[in-house]
Amino acid sequence: MLSGLTFKILTVETQEKILTQVKMPFCPGCGHGISTRSISEALEQLGYGTKDVSIVSDIGCAGLVDPLFATHSIHGLHGRSPALGVGVSLGIDNPKKKTIVIQGDGGATIGLQHILEAARRNIDMTLVVFNNMLFGMTGGQMSGLSTNEFKDYKQSADEADPYDVVQLAHTAGAAYTRRVNHIANFTPALKEAIATPGFSLVELASLCTSYAMKKVSEYQEYIVEEEKFLNDRPVGHLPLRQTKPLIENMKGLDALFANNLDGRIGILIAGSAGGGVQSAAQQLAQAGILAGLHSTMKGEYPITVGTGFSIAEVILSKDPIHYTGLEKSDVALIITEDGFKKVKDLLAPQTKVWIDDKAEIESNYTQKGFSKAGGKKGAALSAIAYWLNESGVFSPDALLKVVENHKYAPELQQAINSYKLV
Amino acid sequence: METKTSKNVLIDASRIITEALVQSGADVFIGYPITPSNLFYSYSKLRFPQFLAGPDEISVLQWMSGFSAAGKLPVTATAFPGLALMTETLNMAYMMELPMVLIITQRLGPSTGSATTGAQGDLKFLDGVISGGMPLPIFSPSNFNDAWTLAHEAAKTAIKFRTPVILLTSKEMVMTQKSFDISTLEPLEPIDRSIKPYEKPYQTYKAGADKVPVFLPLANELEQVRFNSSTHNNLGLIGKNDAESLGNTWRLKEKLETRIDEFTFYEYDAQTDAKNLVVSWGISADAARDAVANLRKNGKKVSLLIAKTLLPVPPKIYEIIDQYEEITFAEENMTGMYKEMLYGKRQSTQIKVATKFGMMLSPSEIIEKI
Repeated sequence: MLSGLTFKILTVETQEKILTQVKMPFCPGCGHGISTRSISEALEQLGYGTKDVSIVSDIGCAGLVDPLFATHSIHGLHGRSPALGVGVSLGIDNPKKKTIVIQGDGGATIGLQHILEAARRNIDMTLVVFNNMLFGMTGGQMSGLSTNEFKDYKQSADEADPYDVVQLAHTAGAAYTRRVNHIANFTPALKEAIATPGFSLVELASLCTSYAMKKVSEYQEYIVEEEKFLNDRPVGHLPLRQTKPLIENMKGLDALFANNLDGRIGILIAGSAGGGVQSAAQQLAQAGILAGLHSTMKGEYPITVGTGFSIAEVILSKDPIHYTGLEKSDVALIITEDGFKKVKDLLAPQTKVWIDDKAEIESNYTQKGFSKAGGKKGAALSAIAYWLNESGVFSPDALLKVVENHKYAPELQQAINSYKLV
Repeated sequence: METKTSKNVLIDASRIITEALVQSGADVFIGYPITPSNLFYSYSKLRFPQFLAGPDEISVLQWMSGFSAAGKLPVTATAFPGLALMTETLNMAYMMELPMVLIITQRLGPSTGSATTGAQGDLKFLDGVISGGMPLPIFSPSNFNDAWTLAHEAAKTAIKFRTPVILLTSKEMVMTQKSFDISTLEPLEPIDRSIKPYEKPYQTYKAGADKVPVFLPLANELEQVRFNSSTHNNLGLIGKNDAESLGNTWRLKEKLETRIDEFTFYEYDAQTDAKNLVVSWGISADAARDAVANLRKNGKKVSLLIAKTLLPVPPKIYEIIDQYEEITFAEENMTGMYKEMLYGKRQSTQIKVATKFGMMLSPSEIIEKI
């Protein structure tokens, strides 16, 4: 697993100090100071310079680390540093640079999803969790990584078993995960983790002398045993792509057909999901452009796209269209009961309405066999072509032109031409 | 003289905005699917040089912040439910002074509301979205040409002022398709992101007279950079109530408000001797345009103001409004949020609102109020 690692050959002259000379801000005896120094030692021993490293930290006692590092740093929100680190690592996208994320056990609890996501994607970064089993900055409350033994000792009311973040990150796909309890092992473990390409996580046991015990020897009775896991997986990258313009290559719709429209007309097409209403309405709007008109097409449907009503409003106009709503519909083509229920209150006395004769709707509106002629998926197109032919606004041939290069051209042409059978 | 041949297509503003952002130099789209911003997601997947599907809203904006700190210009698109979850990180990115563009497509609320129904109901939330009263630049396109130019201006403002910028749209603006002559869209140049000269020793948050610190990315070989979301001094280290650190926080407000002329966008169609002014923004602007045209056709003298830079409120907006005896705000929300932003909730005979909830505001409904 670690065979591909490269270590720089260091000399006293080339080695940069990763830590600043700033005094550690932690309480006397706090374990975070040792963890911080161990990270620095590991980076220095691996040959990283100050400009090679970005320290990502968040809130809590562990979040006090960024001034201690002479590297680049970014200090963010409680629990979110693993997510911020993903962006930093992918944004830098340079295997010679290292993203080190530091958070406490409280932060790891808040941002557990971020840890799993970074592990799942095997993003090239190292997360170091300073686990003192409590929220130190707010008074020693239990975290999701507090062990049951420690919670009993603290007389916590929370009986839920703790997360094993090392195991979880491994299961999610991290390249390297390890829990380390003994100070002597901190630097070697961190070196292994940092040198492993992909996502690595090291949980370091850290004593909180303010809210836990005063002695490491006592504290050792409350921690989880050390463990280490490896996954041999490709490192997550976000490759740069060459893409094609979205607009430049759009095919222009030249005015090839005549129209007989004065002013503006609003057409309501009302059917059910899966009935081709939205695409038929879009084709009508495109055909309108081919007939030298301005057009709009607005769709409305429930959030469950595949069921229920499907309504489309098309406006055709001699003049440019600003407002795209339909204050009144001049024409309504009703394909199904679902569609009718949705639009019946929008039909004005002057609206010319045609209803498919298969729709079970009691009304005095004219019924026509659109679905009989065009089929279930072609009924909307059949109705549109029928209306175009009846009204003479422009020829249904404009519709045929729109669909001529469609992958389902024969079926669509058949649906359009079916108006002759209605 | 070369004349352009028109090229009419049926198109939506999601496509226009996506293309404009990429041409302006946006590097990466990070998003997750949410109605009615879905089209941004699907177009961006095809067009952005880098595309990343986020697992949730908080991760999306955290990832974007990381990319931005590394020198990339990230973009996302969401709606209110996503924006609400992004709010803490939006404040973080604002405090860190990280350039990014967020497209917010408004839909009917509250809560999950009606995802496929348009609205203009998020403006007041955005007015206070940065804790402490700092302004966040909010641009709102009123038609397809605006969609193109304001997307570019959003990217430009984000980089120039080192700030997140919001492009505030709505469902009907970005999903309704219209015939449109795409030859009217001039090609866009990528925003200049070269490193500006800086005073040595470099400090991440030390600003000059323009009040915007020179941006250097993480991992650069020139200088150490320290981004910080907590109150911080010029070095980027946490400072508590000291003059330098508080000054840095004040500067976030000042850099935008003192230079607002550089990103003030509006459309003012003044009619001589008009005493009435219709004010609108976003999706309702087209209804306002039609309403004003109809009123004028019938002999009524009326002027029209379309606000495009919504926040911070440009002084020019007040300057125009103050010239009129009667002002009618046209908006697709319950109370007239833009009106309330400018005048508060107090009712007045001089200040009217034409509003609609759950449907598009129509020209005739605006005319009724005038």
